[in-house]
Amino acid sequence: MPPFYLGMFWVGVYLSLVLVPLVVLLIGPVPAGSGFWWDFSLALGFAGTAMIGTLFFQTARFRRASAPFGIDIIYYFHRQSSLVAFAFILIHPLLLLIVEPSLWSYFHPAVGPWEFWAGVGSFLALCLLLASSVWRKPLRIDYDRWRLGHALLATLALGLALAHIEGVGHFVDAPWKRLLWGLICLSWLLLLAYVRLVKPALALRRPFRVTEVITERGDTWTLRLAPEGHAGFSFQPGQFAWLTIWNSPFALKEHPFSIASSAEQPGAISFTIKALGDFTARIKEVTLGQKVYLDGPHGSFSIDRNPASSYVFIAGGIGIAPIMAMLRTLADRGDRRPLLLFYAYHTWERLTFREELQALETQLNLRLVFVLKDPPEGWPGEVGLLSEELLARHLPQQREGLEYFVCGPVPMTQLSEKFLHRLGVPMKRVHSELFDLV
Amino acid sequence: MRILLAKLLALLTGALILIMAALFALMQNA
Repeated sequence: MPPFYLGMFWVGVYLSLVLVPLVVLLIGPVPAGSGFWWDFSLALGFAGTAMIGTLFFQTARFRRASAPFGIDIIYYFHRQSSLVAFAFILIHPLLLLIVEPSLWSYFHPAVGPWEFWAGVGSFLALCLLLASSVWRKPLRIDYDRWRLGHALLATLALGLALAHIEGVGHFVDAPWKRLLWGLICLSWLLLLAYVRLVKPALALRRPFRVTEVITERGDTWTLRLAPEGHAGFSFQPGQFAWLTIWNSPFALKEHPFSIASSAEQPGAISFTIKALGDFTARIKEVTLGQKVYLDGPHGSFSIDRNPASSYVFIAGGIGIAPIMAMLRTLADRGDRRPLLLFYAYHTWERLTFREELQALETQLNLRLVFVLKDPPEGWPGEVGLLSEELLARHLPQQREGLEYFVCGPVPMTQLSEKFLHRLGVPMKRVHSELFDLV
Repeated sequence: MRILLAKLLALLTGALILIMAALFALMQNA
């Protein structure tokens, strides 16, 4: 099936998952109305809970469902739709308290029934979830701790919301509605079990071993991995995987990295990682033979998904990693299509893959444009930051039939997209990967 | 482009839910 129709199919599945619980409310005999705003508020609470249930599906990393979109955008959508769900959950009690002010008395510990407190607990868990996700960096919450907390709080919020709905008993009292609602809840629980238990157990049976640790220029290391006891996996150049090192896959301590090696050599997968944070600073400590677990491949950032007569790559810093995978793959395939790479870095001395890129320049039909912020004396190339003028100077006059791949720090990526758009490149031709969502 | 579509889908879902919730409340109190 073409990707567009496949994408539409999964959007349809998503909308069904979100809207079915509301349809359940609308069908069959329902309790007598209690006023428009009261019932509107109850429906929003119900729908908000259903939306939270589907949030679990979004981050379960089903490759078949994420393939038409790219999993990065699924995570972005997860963030956006969780804000919508939170808005509904917030409106639900606010409306009830406005319509029926006597409900304020429930906040007295002796008055409020257990289902009320389950609802309050669910709401507070959601507030914590949202605050810790939106402001993780300003609050200086460690990524691994945040992930564990996020999973626990999400499960707690959904569990308490379901207890709240069950306790209130409104709308789910008819036997068939109870059965349907029960099945919906069961699907969420099964999904949770799959993500937290089945998937890690499967990963445990397919380990990889570190066969080489290579020190690269610019505080960067390459880990070369070989599958142990299995065939590994094939991937498209530019895709990424979640890595678990020093921990079991059950520990939820995994980090996403681009695959930097050639897709033509799936038996020797490599990741090039720059020391930028707590986890990456420890990469140099990885020892030969270390067991590593991978969840992948994921992502839609690949030349293999976007055939073209010519490609333009724009890399900043360690954003070169997925682009290296594409260049190495093209070299292995003996590709002779024209390629242009803009590579922005601080200094020439620390420029990762400098020598290999220069070698690829002769092997491929590749033109390199290095852009240095702090160039050495007598540097003949481009200096400063990527700019619209700089891109215009090097891009071919015929820019429309090309495909563009941009990877680097978020501001650089956004600016490059803007520059390309201004230079007349259609946005559908520009591809980038969203990282750093929390 | 993909970001815009993701935002639109999130808003579309929200709008559909609001419409269905309002419809439900109207039917309940007709």
